Amino acid sequence: MTTLSEPKLRFCTGNQMIAEGAVRAGCRFFAGYPITPASGIYKSMIDLLQRRGDVAISAPDEISALAYCVGASMRGFKSMTATSGPGWALMIETIQYALMTETPVVIAFVQRLGPSTGGATQGAQGDILLSEFCTSGGYTIPILCPSTPAECFDLTHKAFAWAEMLRTPVIVLSDKEVGMTSECVDFARLSNQAPPTRKHKSDFASSKMYDFAERVEVPEYLSVGGMGKVTATGSAHNKSGELKKNDTETLEVLHHLEEKIRSRRSELAVTTFDGQAGAETLVVSFGITARTMRETVRNVRRLGKKVSALSIQSLFPVPDEKIKEAMVGISRIVIAEENFSGQYRSVLAPLLYGKEVVGVNKIGSMITPAEIEEQIV
Amino acid sequence: MPFCKGCGHSHVLRKMNEALVQLQLPASDVCLVTDIGCIGLADALFDSVHTVHTTHGRSSAFATGIQIADALLGTGTLKTIVLIGDGGAMIGLQHLVNAALMNANITVLLCNNFLFGMTGGQNSAFSPFAFVTPTTPRGNIVPPIDMCRVLTDCGAEYVARSLATDKELGTIIASAISHPGFALVEIVELCTEHAMEKNSLTGKSLARIVESHDQHFGMLTGSATRSEFSERYVDKYPPRSQETSDNGKYLTPLFKSGLTNQVGIVIAGSAGERVQSTAKKLCEGAMNSGLWCTQKNDNPVTQGSGFSISEVIISPNEIFYTGIEVPDVVIAVSEDGLRELAEKQTLSHLLPSSTVILDSGLKLPPTNAQIFTYPFRKEYGADKAAGRAVEFYLQMSSLFSPDSFHL
Repeated sequence: MTTLSEPKLRFCTGNQMIAEGAVRAGCRFFAGYPITPASGIYKSMIDLLQRRGDVAISAPDEISALAYCVGASMRGFKSMTATSGPGWALMIETIQYALMTETPVVIAFVQRLGPSTGGATQGAQGDILLSEFCTSGGYTIPILCPSTPAECFDLTHKAFAWAEMLRTPVIVLSDKEVGMTSECVDFARLSNQAPPTRKHKSDFASSKMYDFAERVEVPEYLSVGGMGKVTATGSAHNKSGELKKNDTETLEVLHHLEEKIRSRRSELAVTTFDGQAGAETLVVSFGITARTMRETVRNVRRLGKKVSALSIQSLFPVPDEKIKEAMVGISRIVIAEENFSGQYRSVLAPLLYGKEVVGVNKIGSMITPAEIEEQIV
Repeated sequence: MPFCKGCGHSHVLRKMNEALVQLQLPASDVCLVTDIGCIGLADALFDSVHTVHTTHGRSSAFATGIQIADALLGTGTLKTIVLIGDGGAMIGLQHLVNAALMNANITVLLCNNFLFGMTGGQNSAFSPFAFVTPTTPRGNIVPPIDMCRVLTDCGAEYVARSLATDKELGTIIASAISHPGFALVEIVELCTEHAMEKNSLTGKSLARIVESHDQHFGMLTGSATRSEFSERYVDKYPPRSQETSDNGKYLTPLFKSGLTNQVGIVIAGSAGERVQSTAKKLCEGAMNSGLWCTQKNDNPVTQGSGFSISEVIISPNEIFYTGIEVPDVVIAVSEDGLRELAEKQTLSHLLPSSTVILDSGLKLPPTNAQIFTYPFRKEYGADKAAGRAVEFYLQMSSLFSPDSFHL
């Protein structure tokens, strides 16, 4: 008999924990195409889903992989695929389709060094902008970014919850170092939330495919194969799902696709703030580099220096209020990320007006604690 | 209908409607998945069945996902019908090929009018030889694809080619929808807006032009010897109502360790010599002793040759940064491994406090570290050298009790 306090340890990679989190969230359909460093998710989903009689299948390419998942989701089942930069390049068409048709789907995107085929076995955080800013029209795609295997589990669960709640594709943006490093995971300490559920329409006669009164509302679902007729299209459409050109209702739908997400950015914010009274420097990071940041903070505080740290788990929508709160009393902000230009720093720039902003950037290997420490004065 | 006068799409959709009526399927059990192009305007004409209008060429991939999910997770009653043009069929060729290979239970109605009608009549992969279009002004010099043959070669068991004007088309479509597995009907039609002006083409000459490319009409295959994908899947992976047992899945620490500092260990050897599995055992031993640990593996892309390296961190505290800048311990048991460490300059940075456990057959470059050698390979064999070397290290260190390390 296992008691609650007794640790339940397993030696797992971040990739395995994304799969565990997906299954716990009720994912029943996975289609995959191999790519380093994301293949571990594919393999784990094959193992976890097939033995339950759920669907985990091989696709002939990443376009098919995501299209199979979107189709399965339209039929009413939670679905996920996994990829890395080169595969993501092929999925951009289909993720936009999911967004436009308000079809929830989760994409686990495990970053490696780019551009092009880049470095398959080298970590990177160079796809922050590529993953977020991939839609014609510039729509917000929610992105969660884990730094540990336990976060892989929790944030994948959350990704499904968001996808279902918002009716939109959600990305779990991991990287090679989080995805392929094995670590000790205590399953007894993982969150034990119930799987998210879809709210289906019950009134088929009078309701439209995408019923909403205010732009921010998320319409209830109709599933292909259900009693209510589905009318879905990736083209601009009215609330009935009918292809239209520029009429008022169609433009309303196009605004709604963004407003339903942007209006919830406070409730979607996931950050961990480790504040220290009297600190004038705030370090901000995410993903694998957030761990380097934690190490640095532990080290410099031992030396008597004061520093605050903010880990960001929800990169998009940008958790602006949490960032502003963390900036109170701070004069210098150090933003650490494993890409050469400071991609997320460029996104945060408008929030940081009036502060001294320093980037810690690097490609080819993880940012080290010493490299962040150099910037803490 | 939203189509030009004389357009074959009108015929096709009337015949498809006839087929649906003939089959008496409940509307909620039918999903039309349409592609980009004029034929994709069909959605608006069907006000009771489900309609999913997709991206260019991807219709059969979305349809495959919908159909498999319905068959394996849903009611298994859904009929999924793809309407695609010749342009879509070529840009989405891999989805059709894969659906045919899988024998996914979808019906594809391929409306071939030799060109891209919606965008101005440009030539497609289905344009006949010498076909004149705005983008082949002196006539097409590439032969048309025979999609029926391609998909037959991929195992499709229901393949037919028909004219849009064929009186039997409704019956053909109905039997395609009823076929238990992948079904393709290529329907040759006339684009009255773009195809006729520069080509001496009429409804009557369509069949002759197609046949002149050795492409034939009628039922090309019509058997059902292969079971469809979902049937095969459910045979292999039947539904289970319960999770498999947790027994043996988790580990609970049985030992205690007096370790006070984080230790970074690099184990280097050759592929196939159990370096990475030994490192995993080392980590499990650490977990057995209540310690935190991380493991990263590295090997050449081919995986089965050359060096094999594992980096292990063991710590009494939670490990944040998972890199090892200067290892506390290096365990090297093969030439491949040692060479890779030298290339990465791991050895040149070692401190006087660092420990190196080395196979005595290896020659180490100059280092400040303390070196311990033993003929691991000679004594235990190549595949046990890494394991024995780790055991050797555990015996001499106070990392954790060697009792919790099991090779």
